[in-house]
Amino acid sequence: MPIAWQKFALVGISSLVLAACDDLVAVDASQTGDGTDTIELAEFPDRPYWGDTHLHTDNSIDAFGFGVRLGPEEALRFASGEEVTATTGAQAKLARPLDFLVIADHSDGLGATRRLYDAPRIGVVAQNDETLLRWYDMMHESPEQSQLAIAELITAAANGNLPEALRDPETQAENTRDIWNTQLGLLDRYNRPGVFTALAGFEWTRMPDGNNLHRVVMFRDGSDKTSQVVPFPGIDSTPEQLWDYMAAYAENTGGQALAIPHNSNLSNGLMFEMTMPDGSPMTAAYAAKRAAAEPVVEVTQIKGDSETHPFLSPNDEMAGFGVTGWELGNLPLTARSTPEMYAGSYIREALKRGLSLEEQLGVNPYAFGMIGSTDSHTALATGDEDNFWGKHTGNEPANENRAMEAQNLGTRKGRFGWHYLAGGYAAAWARGNTRAEIFDAFARREVYATTGPRMSVRMFGGFGFTEEDWDGDWVRKGYTEGVPMGGELTDGGTAPSFIIAALKDPDGANLDRVQMVKGWLDASGELQEQVYDVVWSDMENRARSGGKVPSVGDTVNRENATYTNDIGAAELRSVWTDPDYEEGERAFYYLRVLEIPTPRWTLFDAVRFGITLSEDAMADAVAQERAYTSPIWLKPSA
Amino acid sequence: MTLPSWAREPLVHFLFAGALLYAFFAWSGGSEVDPASRVIDVDKDQQAQLAVQFERVMGRAPTDAELDAQIDRFVRDEVLYREALRLGLDQGDAVVRRRLVAKMDLAAGAAAERAAVDDETLRAYFDSNRDRYAEGTSLTFDQLLFSDEGSARAALGRLAASDGWQFEGERSTLPRTIDGKSMRDVGGVFGEAFARSILELEPGNGWQGPLQSGYGWHVVRLRKRSSAAANFEAIRAQVENDWRSEEIADRKRQAYELLRDAYRIEIDR
Repeated sequence: MPIAWQKFALVGISSLVLAACDDLVAVDASQTGDGTDTIELAEFPDRPYWGDTHLHTDNSIDAFGFGVRLGPEEALRFASGEEVTATTGAQAKLARPLDFLVIADHSDGLGATRRLYDAPRIGVVAQNDETLLRWYDMMHESPEQSQLAIAELITAAANGNLPEALRDPETQAENTRDIWNTQLGLLDRYNRPGVFTALAGFEWTRMPDGNNLHRVVMFRDGSDKTSQVVPFPGIDSTPEQLWDYMAAYAENTGGQALAIPHNSNLSNGLMFEMTMPDGSPMTAAYAAKRAAAEPVVEVTQIKGDSETHPFLSPNDEMAGFGVTGWELGNLPLTARSTPEMYAGSYIREALKRGLSLEEQLGVNPYAFGMIGSTDSHTALATGDEDNFWGKHTGNEPANENRAMEAQNLGTRKGRFGWHYLAGGYAAAWARGNTRAEIFDAFARREVYATTGPRMSVRMFGGFGFTEEDWDGDWVRKGYTEGVPMGGELTDGGTAPSFIIAALKDPDGANLDRVQMVKGWLDASGELQEQVYDVVWSDMENRARSGGKVPSVGDTVNRENATYTNDIGAAELRSVWTDPDYEEGERAFYYLRVLEIPTPRWTLFDAVRFGITLSEDAMADAVAQERAYTSPIWLKPSA
Repeated sequence: MTLPSWAREPLVHFLFAGALLYAFFAWSGGSEVDPASRVIDVDKDQQAQLAVQFERVMGRAPTDAELDAQIDRFVRDEVLYREALRLGLDQGDAVVRRRLVAKMDLAAGAAAERAAVDDETLRAYFDSNRDRYAEGTSLTFDQLLFSDEGSARAALGRLAASDGWQFEGERSTLPRTIDGKSMRDVGGVFGEAFARSILELEPGNGWQGPLQSGYGWHVVRLRKRSSAAANFEAIRAQVENDWRSEEIADRKRQAYELLRDAYRIEIDR
């Protein structure tokens, strides 16, 4: 019996079957849409759902070059709690699964480095491009050389001189479509209403002169709608064109998309300008377009934290988390930052600028909520300090000295491994775990950011809330008589009050304090900010002195990277009324919730691998993790 | 069993594979245009396709001028593509080679990606991976929180004697009643340690505990535990996912091994 023949016949037949089954989609209908009517929903959002909206896989041009060999499927399996084998060989698993994930590969050159790497050398020689060939050789030489090549590639992209082969729009569009459609199919397969939500998205990677204007775009819909578009390229396009693309998507498909700016801290002041990008006065039309497209920003991630900078908030002693290293300049460090740029780079200041612009234009372009995410380039969505898999594959834990190595983005001008944060998470208050419910929470800004811990933070704003409200159904009262985070209040002549409830991460550290951050436009047209300590642990013994609440203390053992919950509180709550309310002033209010000090990933590394951190790194190896809620805005009555 | 010697000839394999491929492309209409033809017909279908491609990138339909530009570009590509084939430029081109390899690999996996799968297969898979799906438990319970173990135990004593549970426990924003939530939800709210220990309680009307969580000590009345213990019907989609992702990897490997077996590999050392 001719066995070899049989084998060929089998392969041949499977090809025929493939061709015949083109229209057959074996995924349950409940998984392919936006999830409406697939599960029973709570009356009000009843718990925060945890996710990462910013994850890269081997389809990202830089992630692949950095070495990752895990794709979207492994990413989805990992995020939903399965164990996967990381690129560098070790087993990786989340201690607790995530509830949702947005895979956000760079739209530019989607899959391009993977194809470059896979091509035999002679094919690259034929491209007749010295740079391309050099990168190709570096990628094949060693992981270290590969990372250098990608650092060069990012710089080239930032400087607008990528090799032609990597930016030819025709080729890119075709490749993008292949990868996109495959990915949409995967997302539907892993999307399980009520259990795990897989959302489509991409990263739009615009960075004029290396100044980071990146956005993550996320879609509400299933593949029936998302397959009608392909990710919008970032190089050579403007934010306005991106918003047009999103508006056209909504109009043509009946679906919805939103854009989430990130790493404003690396934009050298360009992310939140007071003017149009060309320096002319901002128009109301531009502001309205931006507000409609971008309801949420990513405030914290591996590449630093963008809440505020000590230069901007000199009276805020908790400012400056995740600022070190990142404050030096733009993304590839081709241009240094100067202090006057910070106002356009940090989010608290942008929220303030928004009030001022709204006063002038009648519309606020910077009225956004806040989330955290990872921006991991390892296909592993984890923001946990004790489970940090690195910014990219070159600093997965297999590289034991990762904390002390210089980052290779651009040059070695002052950014080191230990400047990376472990990354954050996005929490969405939703009535259930479906695409529509999660997306809608983002759209109405009922979301918040954490730097990794899963603390539960709730805030309602209104008029006349009191401590007695705790005795009743305060959640119902919050929703029916006030607004949740992300909402707007109309000034009625009395000071707004806020129901504030924070629970620690049930498997994590205690809470130090809850602070209210208020920004406002005063009667003389000046922008102001104030941080109020609202409620903190052990209030009897930690009385304010000189207007400040004393430090909570520190239980971290530097020798073995442990801490105890002997200080801090498991729960903090309060009803707080603005003591400095002035009628008619535009204002916003958001919460910052601080944990007690805990070890950062660098300290875990030092203990696990027996490495010695530098003095700077050691001083930074313990931190107070935190949550930032979306603001509630107070608007003058018309 | 022995093979006739001609069946082991690589040339025979080659011809047979070629014939299959030819049959496949002829049947699927994969290559509609005779490369030798000197006619390029940009029919309405083709134009519509170009317009759709444009729309997907730009998010709007092309203007007439833009469509004309797309057609010009298409014609140019088609002319150069056919001339390239005539000159045999597809031969020995590394990128083309790589692309074809990738297509073969994809084809092997894609069959599993799209193939309909029957319940019998999935049930078998489900049965052999039961551990993985043992998460179908849902809980209904009341809980009262205490800051230390002693006051929790004292409250247990009082609760055994009277029914005034509403007046017990510390004030907290943690929900006092959980109604039919999955272990995942329970763990998300109360933490993993609590979720593990409540699983060990037997349902009933009495108060039990105390159980420790990150928030303190809880006395618990576990009113209902429904073990929809891994109901196949309820999680069929998930089982299918897992089956499919394993199947794709398997088929790629099998397809390669199958083909590779027909080769004799010689590696000079």
